[in-house]
Amino acid sequence: MPVPVSQMWTVASYVLKQKLQGRKRYPLVLMLEPLFRCNLACAGCGKIQYPGHVLKMQLTPEECFRAVEECGAPTIAIPGGEPLLHPQIGEIVAGLVARKKYIYLCTNALLLKQKIDLFQPSKFLTFSVHVDGQREHHDFSVCLEGGYEKAVEGVREALRRGFRVTTNTTLFDGADPRSVREFFDEMMELGVEGMMLSPGYSYDKAPDQSHFLGRARTRRLFRAILSNRKENWRFNMSPLFLEFLMGKRDYPCTPWGMPTFNVFGWQRPCYLLQDGYADTFAELMQSTEWASYGTESGNPKCANCMVHSGYEASAVNDTFSSLRGFWDTVRATLSNRYPDPRALELLHEPVRPVHAFNPLVQIENHAPQETRV
Amino acid sequence: VTGREAGHRAGTPEPDPDALEVIERGAREQLEGWVPELADENELRQALERAFDYRGDVLITRKDGTQIEGYIFDRRPGSTLADSMVRLVPKNGAGKTSVFYTDIAALAFTGRDMAAGNSWEAWVRQYWERKAAGEKGISLQPEKLE
Repeated sequence: MPVPVSQMWTVASYVLKQKLQGRKRYPLVLMLEPLFRCNLACAGCGKIQYPGHVLKMQLTPEECFRAVEECGAPTIAIPGGEPLLHPQIGEIVAGLVARKKYIYLCTNALLLKQKIDLFQPSKFLTFSVHVDGQREHHDFSVCLEGGYEKAVEGVREALRRGFRVTTNTTLFDGADPRSVREFFDEMMELGVEGMMLSPGYSYDKAPDQSHFLGRARTRRLFRAILSNRKENWRFNMSPLFLEFLMGKRDYPCTPWGMPTFNVFGWQRPCYLLQDGYADTFAELMQSTEWASYGTESGNPKCANCMVHSGYEASAVNDTFSSLRGFWDTVRATLSNRYPDPRALELLHEPVRPVHAFNPLVQIENHAPQETRV
Repeated sequence: VTGREAGHRAGTPEPDPDALEVIERGAREQLEGWVPELADENELRQALERAFDYRGDVLITRKDGTQIEGYIFDRRPGSTLADSMVRLVPKNGAGKTSVFYTDIAALAFTGRDMAAGNSWEAWVRQYWERKAAGEKGISLQPEKLE
């Protein structure tokens, strides 16, 4: 099942309207974090390391609706923390559906079967289930043996009840591209609508870590993964952003494209960096020194970032900025196999993670046919 | 100091980000328990910048002797101490509040650094130790909230 035409039309008409109004900076997706509390304790996570009294804070439904109205973006992603831990998440989602916003509720799905009765299937609501790869990879990534099984159970239940479901996958240093490609097969077989991908980001406030993937390594990883695609793979993302990850095109960052609202307010400048907070969306847009952010700014905090929250909005903007951009998008949508013999060779190369003791490379469960041209 | 200025290391030329295989970052500072001297404006500004980056509560003592303990989620440095402020969520559950730099007499990093010790390397090491000991269902669990 592809993305509904109504959703594509809503986003396209919204972007065109911004263009016609001459608005240079406009939000595409609101990242609405109703709480930071989580039922996982992923090592190295930079999102939820807060004192207990902060983890107990949560946005009210009214605060969520006000932020959505202020921002005006047609699409709302609800990450966290784990949003299903919010006691009023059903009310929040229902209110956003009533406002005809397209919602991606990002969940690790540990509670999805238990809480699914809070929601009604709708074209406006998609469960975006966090799965970081095949069973062993996901379990290790989220620091929970059995986590993959629970996530897949949640996906199955949501699909059985007629909900839209995508996966969202963050790839870190040490990811095995052959295993990732097998994971795509598994998710397509499961019946999800599409898959979302992003390279991991070195959160500035994350626990002490000294090494992170650089852009050169990220591009090589995604070239290996996304070239020579199988026909049945579907990605719920801008095709130009995927080409950006593969190193086929370059974009400046659009940090205002996916603004973040959480219990502290409107986060500067983006979903990943925390350089302070504004009290209103207008204040965020007007008072943030945007030129200080993005890889092209020379800000070292942005040096390795290729994350969707900064660059997918750039890709979408490119689609609607010129005939060339539009044509490139059509071409990338219709002709999306990307044959590349060199990328097949990359699949053979050993994974050399920067992190010591990384056990993921020891998992040898990839299919032999994947290594043939 | 915000954004680009905060990220730059003075005097260090920045490499081409597109050519980098690996990003090297320095280890996090061990700030838990630190009570900085605030002898001058520069020391105060630097200490508050560290407090803003800190993933734990801090205790601020005002010049009038009153104290407030909480998590600093924002700082707005201005050209003078009088127009610079930190914004924090108090530990006692009261709503967000602000303290002007000029009112601050002392600062202490009293709360636990919630980011300390949760590195990927620590998890990998722990996982293999527990695996070798025959443990099943290995996981890291979020801490219980008080």
